[in-house]
Formats: sequence, C-alpha cells, structure tokens
Amino acid sequence: MQNTPIVAFDQVNKSFGNFVAVENVSFEIGRGEFLAIMGSSGCGKTTTLRMLAGLEAPSQGRILLDGEEVGDKPTWSRDTPMVWQSLALFPFLTVQENVEFGLKMRKVPRKERIERARKWLDRLGILEFADRNIAQLSGGQRQRVALARSLVTEPKILLLDEPLSALDAHLKVRMQSVLSNLQKDLGITFVYVTHSMSEAFSMADRVIIMSRGKVEQIGTPEEIFHHPTNRFVAEFLGSSNIFTGVISSVNGDTLSVRTKEGVFEIRNQKKLEKQAGDSISFTVRSEQLKLDLEDSKPLLNSIVATVVGEEFSGAMANIFLETADGLELQVQKPHEEIRKLGVRHNRNVVAYFDPDQCHILSEG
Amino acid sequence: MRHHASLFGLTLALPLLIWQLLFFVAPLAFLVALSFWTVRNFQMQPDFDVSNWVRIYTREVFWQAYLRSLILATAATVLTSAIAFPAAYAISFKLSESAKRWIVFILVIPFFTSYLVRVYSLQVFLSDAGILNAALGYFGLGPVLMLNNTFGVLVGLVTLCLPLVILLQTFSLNFVNRDLVEAAHNLRCGPLATVFRVIVPSAKVGLIIAALFSFILSFGDFVSPLYLGGGNPPTLSIMITDITKSGQQWPRAAVVAITMIVSLLIVAFASIRFAYKERGR
Repeated sequence: MQNTPIVAFDQVNKSFGNFVAVENVSFEIGRGEFLAIMGSSGCGKTTTLRMLAGLEAPSQGRILLDGEEVGDKPTWSRDTPMVWQSLALFPFLTVQENVEFGLKMRKVPRKERIERARKWLDRLGILEFADRNIAQLSGGQRQRVALARSLVTEPKILLLDEPLSALDAHLKVRMQSVLSNLQKDLGITFVYVTHSMSEAFSMADRVIIMSRGKVEQIGTPEEIFHHPTNRFVAEFLGSSNIFTGVISSVNGDTLSVRTKEGVFEIRNQKKLEKQAGDSISFTVRSEQLKLDLEDSKPLLNSIVATVVGEEFSGAMANIFLETADGLELQVQKPHEEIRKLGVRHNRNVVAYFDPDQCHILSEG
Repeated sequence: MRHHASLFGLTLALPLLIWQLLFFVAPLAFLVALSFWTVRNFQMQPDFDVSNWVRIYTREVFWQAYLRSLILATAATVLTSAIAFPAAYAISFKLSESAKRWIVFILVIPFFTSYLVRVYSLQVFLSDAGILNAALGYFGLGPVLMLNNTFGVLVGLVTLCLPLVILLQTFSLNFVNRDLVEAAHNLRCGPLATVFRVIVPSAKVGLIIAALFSFILSFGDFVSPLYLGGGNPPTLSIMITDITKSGQQWPRAAVVAITMIVSLLIVAFASIRFAYKERGR
C-alpha cells in the first residue's frame, strides 16, 4: 500500500447541466506530497478538490482514494477533511468545541476528545483561546482553528480550498510557512487549491495548472516555471515574450521560425521532434531579452519596437515595448544599463535574443 | 456636519416615533390609569383605587384563565414550530430558487382572507356532523369530538400561526451559511445530525423569533378559543370581553390587559435574550 498513490484521478469528468466543469482529468498524488492545483476562477480546480472531498460526485471516470474507488461515496463516509476558503468555523461553538467536532462525530470519549483537541490547539499556538467565541478571533487565529479542526482526527490527507485568500499579505506569508512546516512535520498529503502563483510555487512539491476544466501542465514549480509546455501556461505564469510561427527550415538543432515579427533562429535544446512546416511557439524570458538603440548594426533575432512604459521592480526596471504589429514585449534590466542606453518613452529600440536563450513550448 | 447627520437620522425615525407614541404608548398609559378608576352606577370615574387589581388578582378564575392561556399559547407554539420546521427546511434547502419564490407567494395567500372567516369554515370542518367526521364515519370511525375543546382551539391557533412561522423560519434558514453544512458533513456529521447540530443552532435567532410570534399571536387570540373552543373555560382574551360586557367594568378589564402585555413583554425579552446569547468568553 505504501507505494500506491494516495489519490488517483482517472479520466474524471464533471458537468453541471450543460456546463462542463472538469474534463478528462487524470493525475496521481503521492503519499506525503504537497500538491497545489492552480488556475484562474472557473478553471475547475475547486470542483476537482470537491470531488476528492466527496462534496461532488464525478459524472464520469474513477477517483481512487488510498487504493479504494470512492466515486459516489458521500463526504461523511470519507476521511478527507477540508479547510474552506470561508473557513466554515461553527460560530455557535467555542474554539475548543469546533476542534472537538470531528472527534465527537467519531464517538471518541469525552476525556480523550478534550485532550486531543487541546493538544492540537497547543501545537498551533492557540490554546489560550480555547474557550473563546469564534467571532473574537483574528483572521490568522481563525485559520489555525480551521487547521486544528481538520487535523485533530489525524487524517492521511488534508484538502485546502484557497484558505489564505482572505488574509493580508504579511499574514499570508506567515501562514504559508506554518502550512509548509506542518505538512513536513506530519508527513501527510496536502492538496492545496489556489489562484495565487506565489502560494502554489512557494509551498508545493508539485503543481497542477488547470484551465477551462482541463489539466494544462503537471510538474514541480521549477519545471513549470522554466519549461512551460504550452502558451496558456506561459501566459498564465506571466511570460510576456511569446512568439508563434511556422518552422521554415531545420538545420541540426537550429530551427528557423517564420513569425509575423520576422524570421528567428532558435536552438532546439530539448531535441523535440520538429520538422519544417510545423507550427511552433517559444518564449524568451524578460531578463534574457537584450536591448540596443535602433541605429545600431543589424543583429541576429532582432525586433524593432517602441518603448511604451517603464516600471520599477526593486533593483531592476521593467521596460514595456510594443512592435508595429501590436506584439507586446517585456525586458528586464538594471537601472544602470537603461540609463546608459538612454531608453526613453516613445523611443524606438531593438530587442534581440540569443538562439540558446529561448524556450520552446512543446505543445505548440 | 455631525449635527446634520444626527438631524437626518432623527427625521427618518420620526414617523415611527410619532406613531408609537400616539397609538401604543399613549393608549398603554391610559390603560394603566384606567385600571385605577372606579365604576359607579355603570359610569366610570377617574380615581386612584387599587381595588380593581386586588379584585382580579384574588379571583381563582383569573389565574385559571391565565394558566390556560399560557398552556394553549405554549402548546400552539411548540406544535407550529415542529410542523413548520420540516417544511421550511425543505423549502430552503431542497427547492430551486424559482420554486422557492412560488412557495413564498403561496404562503402569503392565507393572509388575504380574514382569520374570522377561516375559523368559521374550520367550524364546519370540525363539527360532529362536519366533513372530517363524515370522512371518519365512512371508515366506521367516530364521530370524534373536535369542536368546543382544546383540540379545536389548537387547530385554530396552529392554522393561524403556521404560514407566518414557515415564512420566518424559511428566511432564517436561507441565511444559514451552506459552507457550515458541508463542513459538518466533511467532519463525518450525517445529514440528519447536521440538521440538529449545525442548521438549527445557525438559524437559532430566526427560529426563536418565529416561535415568539406564534406565542404572541396565540396568547392574545380571542377568535379560536371562542369559536372553536366554545369559550369555556375562558382564556384571558375571553375574560376581557366578559368583564367589559358585565357592568361596564373597563377598569378591571384593563388590569387583565396590562397583565397580558407585561407577560408578553417578559416572554419576548427572555426569548430574544436567549436567542442572542453567545457561547464562550
């Protein structure tokens, strides 16, 4: 059992009437893994989590929980505690009673119930509030109560539905480390749904990116960030320099790509199966896009564009460019370099890149 | 600026204030004064005489009527709340939004017809030769005495209160956070247990206010005890009419009325206090 994944989704579909919320989703979650499911609202991430919790039944496909097919099994017969975005703490119960609730439902004797609840309140640093009313707690304290309530039954898996979205930025970061440490200490599986890239990428071992009900990419934060497989993921992660075109010739690892902005030479580093005539998309990261003045000598892979904006980002400046065709580019450079070049608003510049410094999106 | 703002607030509150002073506080004050007046030769005379209070409070029949009114109102409230809750639950949790709107509309319809007319029709329905007993007779049962007894009164009172209580309960259940219900399920609380452990406590304030309305309506009602209960033994409302009819004893009727109002105030205050009581420190 130890080697089987704790969760397996196999071709799972979910529709509400004519609306398809989740389409053909398959993935596995390993034991002790911190998995984040990420996407914008309406992408199906919450529905996926709710099916795992047993709050929705899949329309098609199989969901295996700890090796057992759970499909229609209601949530009260599963062991998949969830932390809600609204936290869903019972306002008519005290902090202690909230945490005891799950134990009470399992008919744990009173004495043991109190002990275990107090142990978890202590572990999360909120024991002093045990007799308080929920309304008297701060956002961060409520968060901890919700965690204690879900973890007190010592489940193998914890589901979290955007639990930090209501907190301010500072508290969010603190709770992220609380969650990370908790997950490492307990060694149980966390499934974390969020629309925030910083939350997903800072905590998760692996991330699933979803859009319009489908899985776009699964991988470690590193893999996804550096090697997005398609245009959606690249755009979703904020890559701004995405080029799309058709391969005009292949010369070993070097591909010539004809795009609206001109012909570019790029290196096929991952040795993907590509032939002349294939359509292809690739990105160039904003810090790897170089900049020069328009009247300089002709360069390989260059694009003429107009400076339309500038933004400070710590030690770096983000320069926003736009080509005559309306393609938007973003270049990140130290302030020093920008000043030396004499980049100004409305000025025409040349952006160029090295064939080795582009990333091909494998799914076109 | 502050001055203007409070003036604005006062202006908004003014109509209610005037109305309440004119038609509630003033008559009530008059009622209190009236309870100390005396009656000579069927004529009321302003006076300060506590004999009306002594006279009413020392009569056993008054306390019997008081007890009967309390028991009837309590029984009607418990019955109405218990019958209304499953309906309100189904409306709030199981019906679609459009079905909900229709049901709310249907629940308002009983208020279109006079309560008195409805009670007269219930008389026909419940009498020994009435429709219900005819139906029972068809199966060789009955006739069962359903009129001029406590059963009849309760049928009237529950019919009076039911639509209002279902509406109030439905509105309060509509405000129950659905996440709480799912969270309870998720913590292994089954559907039925969730009703009692989560839904009822969440809707507590609304459910208690609904019950309070039922109690107030039943406690003061005069129609059902008279036309369906036969007026004997009397309730406090019936007692008031009896007292006023016999020898213009308005001052003594005022004593009974004030006792009723004070009792309702105590019940209302206690139940609202209970409704808003919070757990924990």
